[in-house]
Amino acid sequence: MRRRKPLPEAPAGSGRLLDARLHILDRQLLDFDDTPVGIVDDLLLEDLADDGRGPRVLAILTGQVLATRIFGGKPPVSRLQKLPWRLVRSVGIVVRVDADTDGGTGSLDNLWVERWLRDHVIAHIPGRRHAAH
Amino acid sequence: MSKLFAVALGVLTAIGGFLDIGDLVTNAVVGSRFGMALAWVIPVGVLGICLFANMAGRVAAVSGRATFEIIRERLGPRMAAANLGASFFINLMTVTAELGGVALALRLATDAGPLMWVPVAAFAVWLVIWRVGFTVMENATGLLGLSLIVFVISVFLLQPDWTQLANQAMAPAIPESESGATYWYYAIALFGAAMTPYEVFFFSSGAVEEHWTVEDLGTSRLNVLVGFPLGGLLSLAIAACAATVLLPAQIEVTSLSEIALPVLAAGGKLALAFLIIGVVAATFGAALETTLSSGYTLAQFFGWAWGKFRRPMAAARFHVVMLVVLVACASALCTGVDPIAVTEYSVVFSAIALPLTYLPILIVANDPGYMGERVNGAVLNAAAMVYLVVILLAAAAAIPLMIVTGAGQ
Repeated sequence: MRRRKPLPEAPAGSGRLLDARLHILDRQLLDFDDTPVGIVDDLLLEDLADDGRGPRVLAILTGQVLATRIFGGKPPVSRLQKLPWRLVRSVGIVVRVDADTDGGTGSLDNLWVERWLRDHVIAHIPGRRHAAH
Repeated sequence: MSKLFAVALGVLTAIGGFLDIGDLVTNAVVGSRFGMALAWVIPVGVLGICLFANMAGRVAAVSGRATFEIIRERLGPRMAAANLGASFFINLMTVTAELGGVALALRLATDAGPLMWVPVAAFAVWLVIWRVGFTVMENATGLLGLSLIVFVISVFLLQPDWTQLANQAMAPAIPESESGATYWYYAIALFGAAMTPYEVFFFSSGAVEEHWTVEDLGTSRLNVLVGFPLGGLLSLAIAACAATVLLPAQIEVTSLSEIALPVLAAGGKLALAFLIIGVVAATFGAALETTLSSGYTLAQFFGWAWGKFRRPMAAARFHVVMLVVLVACASALCTGVDPIAVTEYSVVFSAIALPLTYLPILIVANDPGYMGERVNGAVLNAAAMVYLVVILLAAAAAIPLMIVTGAGQ
């Protein structure tokens, strides 16, 4: 373990203090209708400003990037779906976003496998439209 | 009245659903080789699974998070992926073993070769997962699994030497034909059979499937705390049957017919009929649970949509994974691997992988961020820590013992 400089004091404010690693990274992303739309794989930060405010979070990044998350390195931008921070509705045990997935599969790039399997495999099996009861 | 009915139904399903091919085979093997000298492991395992399932169910009901979502969030992608690899592999072994169990039981009933029954069993499992609701599925297999009470009845019909059985259980001694290493190897196998990780994946995901809330916790705790120990009694009865009939005759358990032998001797064809119904229900139910668990673990780790409560169209990856798993496991059986051998390995590997899932659940059950006021109490944590040590010891000893004993030979 490298010895690190102690972190600066947390800014005193009225808001909630979130640790990006502890409270945001790897959490489940849910759309407004409770459809899972991925997990928080990374955060896109604004370039560090010199005004002492520290960087701001611009967007949540999600995608099929398990390999680079395990073995390091940087995936091409096209592998990551960007969800601008203004779409985030709440951060709790899950992160709720307004991603507009249209009943589960809409237009997010990171859900293309789900859409492809739905249209090319599941769509050919009878009884696919109703939940089992 | 309806509440009482719900509790009774829950307890009965927990008893009937407790046993799977791992418990059936391991208890019979142990009974036929060691008598009741390993009976003490069963209460240890049952108490452990009560503790573990109860904790995982509470975490799922309070936080809405199932086991592998928690593993990902707490361990990070690297450790969680290693964990997923191990858990998924063991789960595949268990699916194979359970499908093989269904086929072996149907073969006892029909004389048609087991290979003929494998595709039928796999297709039936898929059909139930695709079309039958979660609660109906659980209750039907659990209630039919209650036929395995025939093992308890058989013990009484066999009129064993009760004092001898009690002596074997109370003052365990390793039989002369066995070594100390095989004794401990089978102790770990029995422990793994009682505390299979898939039971916990399934239990916590089931809590989400059935939309449990904090109000349901009392009922679920009762189901577990009453149902599982009674299920453990069935395990003891299987071992006692084997100890009474197979041990003196030195019959080795190599297939389901040896497990059925004491029951046939005790109660004739009628008892055998109940046994076959019970084994089919228990292994079929467990095949459903393990197949679903393979979908649950993968989907939860990657953050996909999952669950039988969703339309298959809205959980495409989840359903495709289960389809592929069933085809792969059925194909593996069709190559002629021995389901009993797969079962014996799967219970030991279960014990090896147990710490990987136990520890994250224990950590989150103590995390107020997830659990609010419903974190573990002091007594529960003390018991959970004792079990953490037991689980770690069993996992650490399993592989050396497997090598030394040649997997229990």
